Amino acid sequence: MAVILGQSLLLPIILAPLAYLIGRRVGAKTGWFAFVVLAYSTIMLLFAGMQGSEYTEVYPWQPIGEFGLKLDGLSAPFAAIIYILSTTLAVYSIPYMKHKVEEEFEHHSPEVEQAIKRKMGLYYSLYLLYAAGMLGTVLATNLIQFYIFFELMLIPSFFLIAEFGYGDRYRISLMYFLWTHVGAVILLAAILSIGFLGGGFDFAKISTSGIPEGIRVWLGIAVTLGLFVKLAAAGLHVWLPYAHAEAPTPISALLSPAMIGIGGYSFIRILVFLVPSAYASVAFWVSIWGLITMLYGGLMVFAQDDIKRVLAYSSVSQMGYIIFGMASAYYVGVGGSVFQYVSHGTGKALLFMAAGAIILQTGGLRSIGKLGGLAGKLPITATCALIGFLVIVGVPPMNGFQSEWMLFFGSFAGALQSGSQEKLIITALALTTTPVTAGYAMWTMRRVFFGKTPENLSNVKDPPATITIPLIFLAALSIILGIYPNLVTERLLPLLSAVMK
Amino acid sequence: MAEIPFTLAPWLVWIIPLAGALLTPLFAKLGDKPRDYIAVIFPLASAISAATMLPLALSGEVFHQQVPWITALNIKAGVLADPLSVLMANIVAWISFLIMVYSTGYMHGDKSLTRYWFFMNFFIGSMQLIVLSDNFLQLFFGWEGVGLCSYALIGFWNKDQEKDYVGTVGHTTWGLPQAYSPSHAGMKAFVTTRVGDVAFLIGILTLFYFSGTFSFTELAEEHKWAADLARSGLLIPVAVLIFGGSIGKSAQFPLHEWLPDAMAGPTSVSALIHAATMVKAGVFLVARIGPLFYTAVQSINMVSPFFLTVAWIGAITAFLAASQALVSKEVKKVMAYSTVSQIGYMMLGLGVAGLASEFVAGFVAGFFHLTNHAIFKASLFMGAGALIHATGTKYMNEMGGLRKHMRKTYFAMLIVTGSLAGVPFLSGFWSKDAVLAAVLNVESASVAFPLFVVAVVTAIMTSFYSFRMIGMIFFGEKSHHLEKMEEHGHHVHEAPAVMWLPYGILAVATLIIGLTGPFFEGFLENSLGKYLEESFGMHIAEEGFKLNPIAVSGSVIALAIGGFLGYNFYIAWFDLQVPRKQMVHQCSILQGLRQWNNIIWQCCIQRGRVRNSRQDEHRGFKVDDWLLFGKQLV
Repeated sequence: MAVILGQSLLLPIILAPLAYLIGRRVGAKTGWFAFVVLAYSTIMLLFAGMQGSEYTEVYPWQPIGEFGLKLDGLSAPFAAIIYILSTTLAVYSIPYMKHKVEEEFEHHSPEVEQAIKRKMGLYYSLYLLYAAGMLGTVLATNLIQFYIFFELMLIPSFFLIAEFGYGDRYRISLMYFLWTHVGAVILLAAILSIGFLGGGFDFAKISTSGIPEGIRVWLGIAVTLGLFVKLAAAGLHVWLPYAHAEAPTPISALLSPAMIGIGGYSFIRILVFLVPSAYASVAFWVSIWGLITMLYGGLMVFAQDDIKRVLAYSSVSQMGYIIFGMASAYYVGVGGSVFQYVSHGTGKALLFMAAGAIILQTGGLRSIGKLGGLAGKLPITATCALIGFLVIVGVPPMNGFQSEWMLFFGSFAGALQSGSQEKLIITALALTTTPVTAGYAMWTMRRVFFGKTPENLSNVKDPPATITIPLIFLAALSIILGIYPNLVTERLLPLLSAVMK
Repeated sequence: MAEIPFTLAPWLVWIIPLAGALLTPLFAKLGDKPRDYIAVIFPLASAISAATMLPLALSGEVFHQQVPWITALNIKAGVLADPLSVLMANIVAWISFLIMVYSTGYMHGDKSLTRYWFFMNFFIGSMQLIVLSDNFLQLFFGWEGVGLCSYALIGFWNKDQEKDYVGTVGHTTWGLPQAYSPSHAGMKAFVTTRVGDVAFLIGILTLFYFSGTFSFTELAEEHKWAADLARSGLLIPVAVLIFGGSIGKSAQFPLHEWLPDAMAGPTSVSALIHAATMVKAGVFLVARIGPLFYTAVQSINMVSPFFLTVAWIGAITAFLAASQALVSKEVKKVMAYSTVSQIGYMMLGLGVAGLASEFVAGFVAGFFHLTNHAIFKASLFMGAGALIHATGTKYMNEMGGLRKHMRKTYFAMLIVTGSLAGVPFLSGFWSKDAVLAAVLNVESASVAFPLFVVAVVTAIMTSFYSFRMIGMIFFGEKSHHLEKMEEHGHHVHEAPAVMWLPYGILAVATLIIGLTGPFFEGFLENSLGKYLEESFGMHIAEEGFKLNPIAVSGSVIALAIGGFLGYNFYIAWFDLQVPRKQMVHQCSILQGLRQWNNIIWQCCIQRGRVRNSRQDEHRGFKVDDWLLFGKQLV
């Protein structure tokens, strides 16, 4: 058996300490090392994806079961986006984090060089662990394995915020850790119950026949609650604006689209695939919660002035879309929700990267009120930010449109199929909230990039190529997926259709 | 029948401008001049491809080609070249090309021309995508593409300098400021049309659920979906929701308010997007779905509420917008309101088509009016651009007496304005007449009569504001503004050839269509009739050209009344130095009625925003703070 997925998952973990050592010698250039490692791993991942509609690697892992890595129609879009973003952002981090560390010192001195070397090694080793943790979560074929990686992605990100963040970073990282950890513990309770009652922890072995009817509903509720902290559903979202706004920008760009959306993956994998009856009993309420999240996150954007907080609340709203789609009880809707993860992955990463570019080029300005008219000064950044916003709004030819129409169509179809009037009304309401997204997107665009340029920003220009090339790459990816959505849906929809019928 | 240039043309028509848009930034490296010339070549190539499809329209044949797209849902992409789309594609292509030529003069010297050419070419490609798509989903790509270009080009002068504002800074109506910056106007257009698009999307997704397809041809072949929809009571809602997209895009009541503010964009943009092409996309959509719904259910009465909605929305919009054109001071705003109003006529035509036993009459009338309006309004706007260029003002009351100085522009605008007013033997006369005749075709008189009255009253207003516009701009004495300009040594002069040729050509086209009106209409009727027969299996009775005496007298009387008043007010005894127009301004009691969505817009977004920006940045966090126990948990 060839070790392909094993390489792409374990290589970053094994090489993480090496990244630290390299960092101590070469400083920010470690980013290129991390880039090569992740690019190689991404190629391995895509190579595995080309092996057929489903590709699995299994390693014995007694007594828990099997340590498997599985790339199927559902996990492939998640895995691909996680690694593509990680690889792209590894390059982006080079100038950004270097500048971030330098900022902490007032003068240029040998001390600064020392600090850069010390900190960049740490940054990239945590970064590699973080990426691998996310990938492991979506490739897992065993509930315990799943949970281990679910926690593994939390710990490096906690340190990344605590060490490299802005503002009140220690408290905020702790807050982030506690909130998501409490969610994870609730999830653990559900996972253990499913494992013990369902006859094993391997996904393939679990059968719902052993789980009593009365408990299934509670399992559904526990999984939902546990994951909704990660998904930042309205009410459980309060950690998110703090964490996303104060994390270093490349990490925000990974946290926001890649990590929190994994909650959606876990929901589909555990409830839809393993315990469908629990899914059926919570789906309706989840869709209402999704609608509230969409609307609440979208409206909160209008009250923000910090550019990163704008994006953070927009993420809350986007998670609402994902939640809404995955509760549609129709395969196209769930597929649309997965696709929305992909779209949000490219779109929100673009936006955070553009925000980072602005922060970098304006000397740390984050307040929208102090920005304006930057389209003429930073044309590439402005174009990419516009594309990012259009993805979020769901305008063709961006991939956001493909995912949104599938998501809402699925919801309509689910409602019409079950003949539920309430669901039909909720779906119509959800669609009518989409102009809110268009509103905040265009409004933010206008406040940052159009209008008069403040005088102190008259000399701002586009950032270096290590920032613009990742931006252009993601923008191109968004458009390609929008015009040719088959890359995502070809395997995803048949799989979901088979599982959900 | 499929020869090589033949098969590729429907693809090339929209792919060439899109490719051109993407290549524009590369050509910009060659220098400004090559970039500008190359940017004009793409629309020309596209227009030539469109012209090669014309034989299809003449023979009434349909060319349809598909490629796989979203395989998991069995969705195919494709092009559908039938007489409707071929005619529309040619109108769009040739007008676009002329406006692009005009742009090289009008936009000359602007710093951001690369961006301009990019979005103009992208727009033309997206518009042709709407026209030639064979399914709703692909059409929606073009639909949003043109919306995006509209947004970007309205806000083209995104520095928001006060000279680029639309409206008069400081002027308020009902306590609401009436001036908008370009980037604000662009945003407003985007968000308002988005509301219509959401309705459109709901409509086509529901249709997709019931029929399993987005394809127009498949929907026309198999009618089971209509029966299913009708049984669940969703047939009319779905049709009206799809029409919602048209309401947004074509600026119909109640989503019309973005279009007058869209005049913040460059005039060439207004001519292309907000007069000749994009705002017609909604009409085109109705022309696409109208026959589909008309034939899908056997009994006409089942869908008549839909057509009644279309007709009344059209009539109300035509009336409201015309009432605003009466009192606007800015030349572009008069034209913008006039566009909204004339699109209302087109909707009226298409709406009454479905209420009559003969579908084809109203259908042809609506499309005929679309053709004529596209031509004369594009010419009008380009002429207005030349005027603004020459006089340095957008206000009509700061022009005056220009007929001696800009003779070519004067004659061109006289012809096209005459067409707008419905002067006999100009193109607008025939098509307006056809619409009025189609209204009288409606079987039930109680439906036809009120619509006819509204249409005639609107026609009176149309001819009035046409005369007013010509009078204020070209007749009378020079205004203070022009006198002052001449004191400073700036003399008003004719526009360069690259500018007057395009609108001159379109004025000649208006004249030619006007002189051959009945033949042209016969050609359209023949071609579109064949299309309706072949694609939808309608039975079309052979009918020669004939004028409906009531319709003709209605439109001539309207022209006479409006013209008499307009001529007397603004040409015979009008003097710009005396603000006699104040009297007419009293008509603006109607402003409150048309402004209702402006009011919502301002109250919800503007005021909310102002309040937010006054307070500290954490104001919006009340709920979040509460969830965190007053930040104890942070």
